[in-house]
Amino acid sequence: MRSPFAYMPRFGPLQAASPAAAVAYLGALAAVAFLYSSPLVLLATGVALALAGRLAGAWGAVRAAIRIGLAIALPIVLVNALVVNRGETVLARLGEWPLFGQVDVTAEALADGAVFGLRAVVVMIAFAVYSACVDPDRVLRALRPLAGRSALTATLVSRLVPVAAADAARLRDAARLRGPGAAEVGRAPLARRLLAGSLDRAVDVAATLELRGYSLEPSPMTRAQAGGRSGPRPSPPKRRSRYERRFYLVGALVLAAAIAAKPLGADGFDAYPTVQLGFAPATVALAALIVLSGLAPLRRQPRRRRV
Amino acid sequence: MSELAIRRGAAPALAIEGLSYAYPRATGAALADVSLEIAPGEFVLLAGRSASGKSTLLKAACGLVPHFHGGEIDGAVTVAGLDAVELGPAELAAVVGYVAQDPETQVVSTTVAAEIELPLEMRGDPAAARARAVEEVALALAVPHLLGRTVDTLSGGELQRVALAAALVTRPSLILLDEPTSQLDPVAGDELIWLLRRLNEEWGVAVLLAEHRLERCLAAADRVVAMDAGAVAFAGPPAEFLAWAIDSDPALETPAARLFSMAGIAPLPTGVRQARQALAGRESEARAGAFLSHGESKSPSAEAMAMRSRDLWVELERGDGARDVLRGVDLELRGGERVALMGRNGAGKSTLLKTAAGLIEPVRGKLEVPGGIALLTQNPGDYLVRERVGDELPGEAGLAALRVVGLEHAAAADPRDLSGGERQRLALAIALAGQMEGERLPGVVALDEPTRGMDRGRKADLGSLIGDLAGRGAAVVVATHDVEFAAEFAERVVLLGDGVTIADGAAGEILSGGWYFATEVARVLDLPGVVTPEQGAAALREAGEGRG
Repeated sequence: MRSPFAYMPRFGPLQAASPAAAVAYLGALAAVAFLYSSPLVLLATGVALALAGRLAGAWGAVRAAIRIGLAIALPIVLVNALVVNRGETVLARLGEWPLFGQVDVTAEALADGAVFGLRAVVVMIAFAVYSACVDPDRVLRALRPLAGRSALTATLVSRLVPVAAADAARLRDAARLRGPGAAEVGRAPLARRLLAGSLDRAVDVAATLELRGYSLEPSPMTRAQAGGRSGPRPSPPKRRSRYERRFYLVGALVLAAAIAAKPLGADGFDAYPTVQLGFAPATVALAALIVLSGLAPLRRQPRRRRV
Repeated sequence: MSELAIRRGAAPALAIEGLSYAYPRATGAALADVSLEIAPGEFVLLAGRSASGKSTLLKAACGLVPHFHGGEIDGAVTVAGLDAVELGPAELAAVVGYVAQDPETQVVSTTVAAEIELPLEMRGDPAAARARAVEEVALALAVPHLLGRTVDTLSGGELQRVALAAALVTRPSLILLDEPTSQLDPVAGDELIWLLRRLNEEWGVAVLLAEHRLERCLAAADRVVAMDAGAVAFAGPPAEFLAWAIDSDPALETPAARLFSMAGIAPLPTGVRQARQALAGRESEARAGAFLSHGESKSPSAEAMAMRSRDLWVELERGDGARDVLRGVDLELRGGERVALMGRNGAGKSTLLKTAAGLIEPVRGKLEVPGGIALLTQNPGDYLVRERVGDELPGEAGLAALRVVGLEHAAAADPRDLSGGERQRLALAIALAGQMEGERLPGVVALDEPTRGMDRGRKADLGSLIGDLAGRGAAVVVATHDVEFAAEFAERVVLLGDGVTIADGAAGEILSGGWYFATEVARVLDLPGVVTPEQGAAALREAGEGRG
């Protein structure tokens, strides 16, 4: 089965933009999630990212990210409530626990944990939209001149991870198909088998990379050979998108507004000693701007001419 | 092929002189004193049994041997004037392309366009030249519609074409292919071979193609090289190869050649067209009815029901959304039946078997397997997780399963030391273990694509194992693309198309009633019910007697 986070080529502004533009846009929203603790701003960022994902055709990835994010958020809230004893509104006194000492569950610790959890969900959505909408081949191509070895490692990993996942699914099926009289497959033999299979796969992929000339330094000879065949060359076409500037601009605007609004009291949240939730005009304005930024991947429909 | 296309006298596409090679830590040589020359634009078929050295020879021609695999090498290998022993595969990439058996392991990018473009990017071609080359090779291989897709959404046939495009995009002088059709259905396999022939003729690229199913590609070849124990046993035109195979290695005969040989007709045909021309005018049609009985299945009520599906619907997630893979399949199997389950890649064969084994839940309908099922999936290696056969199959139940597959002597062996066929039998024993009452087998024994990469000798062994299992009362169902194998072992063929049963009947009837899902003998004679060389030869002899 295909992962919902796997890249799927679609015709859309976010997919057409360069990886740098997409990273600038999604990274700016993720940065807001780290800069702010205001639930309103975090919620607005989550809505903006979900909207962006929806408009980019990655709704499946967004939904999966919300599911996984909530699964991560819940333990964060629980652990925070058990570990942090600060806060004035005690909801439950759970007595002395080994390692934890006196455990008091406070409303403030729960709220603080919920903000951490919300941040995890938002970052997860940003990652999901990036993963489903940004072509990994273009990212690797951009990285290759900067860090060849890292790009090679990333290429191997990006290919081997889905292959290993498929191998694991096959091995699990084979384990279920063993007759009741065959030895049980423990986790250790299965993991060993998966590792051995992955190493074999890695060798195959490495051989293919070698055959494609991955270890080759482009030489004047090979360039000349290529030139000799194709004749006089036009200047290379640049893969530019008409939406490129939009993502850079929106990313920069969101980040600049977030930084500028912080000293104006837009991050109105304090968990301790009692929960203080601020809805200053700066908070509301910033939240509104962030939600609107989620419309960046919207594609303008071509106008129909009347004949 | 014309002498113009095969440019004899020009620098050879491949020249091998006295090549011997042994893999690291191997006890014997994989190649022994091989000498071979391929002219520019020549189409050469590499024949031979499993482990005869075909794959190693191809790897030596593209530099993977010795540069990637290591080992000891002696002799000279020159590809389009470049020394392949001195230069590595990356340096040779501009002049030679290589396509391996498993398309899954030869793609390294996420999208098809990036995969095809990669070799050009690696050698530093500018973007304009890359864009043009990708467009041209995509058009030549009829895959421009796939360029925007991700590789994990492609079928096996599509993936193999993409791998071929990536190997051809640098416009190499020589293309090497190692059993490229072994995982493809008959339609995709035939398309690939004729695509290769067209590229060979139009682009002038020399082709060295290793294959087990020779009937599929012999007619396209200019020359055949047969390998045996790492050495060249024969090199010559296809017609001479067939005459050599009849005398020296019958496992390499094609069904049509065997038919002619058994019927005493000469010369031996290299393909269906030649065979039909040779047989034109023979009055054999009238005898066809006499052979229908061979392929007829048993009466459905003769044995107990082993598997029954009623209005079976199965839905699977396929990346771009859920899809109905099985659509209302009705099927009933009886104990002792030998059934071939056939159809194109993605027709639903594996899904049907996995549903019967309980790995997939149907969304509608019912599937009953009252006597249980033992399923061997496409990769027998997935069942082998321990380092001793006896540890995989402990106790009396394990020994009984080993006895059924004839491996009781191998309990102390390491599965990795067994041959490919023995490993397959061991995996089947693992699936059977504990499902038998004494020597009685589960109701259904199912095998999914068990003949991939097998030579005819190993297929014959598998055929007799299937006969033995059916003789013990199990319904044996084999999902396969191999029509010749199906004709040998099956008494009934079920043909699936896009999740629906499109034909179900006696093997002789189904395998002689079409073009793609028909044996070579059936395509030559076009007689209802006649699918094997033995049946065909008998029909021809009878026709001859009728004339006499």
